[in-house]
Amino acid sequence: MSNLLDVTDLAVSFRTRSGLIRAVDGVSFSIAEREILGIVGESGSGKSLTVLAILDLINDPNVVIAGSIRFKGTELIGQKPGVLRRLRGGAIAMIFQDPMTALTPVFTIGAQIAEQIRIHTELSRHAARSRAVDLLDAVGLPDPARAAARYPQELSGGQRQRAVIAMALSCNPALLLADEPTTALDVTVQAQILELIRKLRDDFNSAVILITHNLGVVAETADRVAVMYSGRIVESASTTALFADPHHPYTWGLLGSMPALDGIRRPRLATIQGLPPALNRRPPGCAFSPRCAFVRPACINARPPLTGTEHQVACIIPAPERATARTQALAA
Amino acid sequence: MSDALLSIDKLTKTYTTGSALLASGKTMIRAVDAVSFTIANGETLGLVGESGCGKSTLGRCVTRLLDVSSGSITLAGTDITRQRGAALRETRAGLQMIFQDPYASLNPRRRVRDIVAEPLIVHHRGTRRDIRDNVAALIQAVGLRSEHLDRFPHEFSGGQRQRVGIARALALSPKLIVADEPVSALDVSVQAQIINLLTDLKRERGIAFLFIAHDLGVVRQIADRVAVMYLGNIIELGATEQILAAPAHPYTEALISAVPVADPARAAHKTRIVLAGDPPSPANPPRGCPFHPRCGYATDICKTTKPALEVLNDGRFTACHHPRQG
Repeated sequence: MSNLLDVTDLAVSFRTRSGLIRAVDGVSFSIAEREILGIVGESGSGKSLTVLAILDLINDPNVVIAGSIRFKGTELIGQKPGVLRRLRGGAIAMIFQDPMTALTPVFTIGAQIAEQIRIHTELSRHAARSRAVDLLDAVGLPDPARAAARYPQELSGGQRQRAVIAMALSCNPALLLADEPTTALDVTVQAQILELIRKLRDDFNSAVILITHNLGVVAETADRVAVMYSGRIVESASTTALFADPHHPYTWGLLGSMPALDGIRRPRLATIQGLPPALNRRPPGCAFSPRCAFVRPACINARPPLTGTEHQVACIIPAPERATARTQALAA
Repeated sequence: MSDALLSIDKLTKTYTTGSALLASGKTMIRAVDAVSFTIANGETLGLVGESGCGKSTLGRCVTRLLDVSSGSITLAGTDITRQRGAALRETRAGLQMIFQDPYASLNPRRRVRDIVAEPLIVHHRGTRRDIRDNVAALIQAVGLRSEHLDRFPHEFSGGQRQRVGIARALALSPKLIVADEPVSALDVSVQAQIINLLTDLKRERGIAFLFIAHDLGVVRQIADRVAVMYLGNIIELGATEQILAAPAHPYTEALISAVPVADPARAAHKTRIVLAGDPPSPANPPRGCPFHPRCGYATDICKTTKPALEVLNDGRFTACHHPRQG
């Protein structure tokens, strides 16, 4: 199967006075056409940087990007600015947590979407404008013609996020990068936007990388999930497999920390002791080892590789012992 | 109710917006609309709702950070609605607040030691030595170590900062703490640590909480009872498990169904109610039931008559002409 995007050993580092800090530390993953990949992690896990690196959107003179990012077979790292510029908003589109990052308050929604269409296509001003209205209709904005004539600040947060999604879809992107698209939204509006993202695949044939800290959002939206911790992928599997049988102790910790809406109410939530390591003081072995209840001597010195084919995990606990450890983790 | 620690009666908070010069250009916003509830000693009431429903405004009225427009607030038998000066200061010793943003609610120029000691100094609680011992005990109680006392807020992570804010709120041994989204700015693993801390404090110290949150899972973990707000009104109020397992109000039902479940097996079977549209503006609320334009069960009466918050057979309260339960 040919992949739409192949990321291999991606490293995003920053030059600082105290040396090079690797914020993304050797990340590899692939995404097929029409696939929804969820990347989950907490603040500082490197999930946003990973995706920003794909479009070379990290705006920092001290950033160093290494590894390989191949989109439809073309290497993107070190690519000419013009090529990347044509990709951005064209074949690869991106939406952010705060829709105002992508919108200017001084033009109407319709004008901003039409502008993007005209940059990437040969459509006339008039045709671009009517396509903008069609797109606003497709993302479920009520009264799209009127919405197109409005300024971003006249819309609600959910409507703005819909408008930004319409803009992202304007050139039928093969890949949509969505960085915490629902985090700033209320839960009922979040449900609307997630339904819209699931629909994109059917209506626009887009693959989606969905970045979120919310395991529930991933469970309901993604086909596959990658869990990131301290700049590395620690576990990656189909959504069904990951939630049915999580392999990595960090994933167990994340799932245990989430207060559930049904089932037995535990008197206390399971927690993960301590905090993630500072990026310049990441331990030499497994980055999670200082907080892991199942740490062994071998975890301290050597970094565990991401192993497995369908269900990948970066943990040296042998598979037969995993079930016992998981039972212990659930009881704790 | 005589055994209530906090009793809120028809509390209303209105704001006026628009031109101050033209009376015709003014709009009145009822951010909190005649809300009544009680909190017993040691009880945690979760207050949930989406942005703009008035839950934070209500919390700030209860702590008297905002003046109320009408209605009354009674704390431990004393009417505190219009208290001022020394009397209000005395009230606030027993009524503390924890804020959402631990970055904004701690003075960046002061050490943790001074931040936690300040309420004790303001209220003349003991000698300098007493206060020092007290601060050391508080910082331990919230899971920090004594070496943290001489650090500044910027040296801490978000979760640790929230612990400092909690220590400060505990300093005067309050009977009631209003916690406004205390964990929503935190990562999920840190959030769990803070929820556990609050659960322990509630049990060990018998503190009552008004716990404001938008995350129903968090509220379920900590609250004994839940009040759901929509557009300035409480639309459902009852025992946590009762409401979350079987909501009576269509809005509560939609809110619960919208929460993404971290379990694909269950998510596939769950009935999702995706509400159309956004909550209406409180400046221009719909006639009748405030939820009727988005409600799947609305009938003619919902468009004309606003339902009152009434008790159902199973003991919960709901403001709905067509309750789903009870």
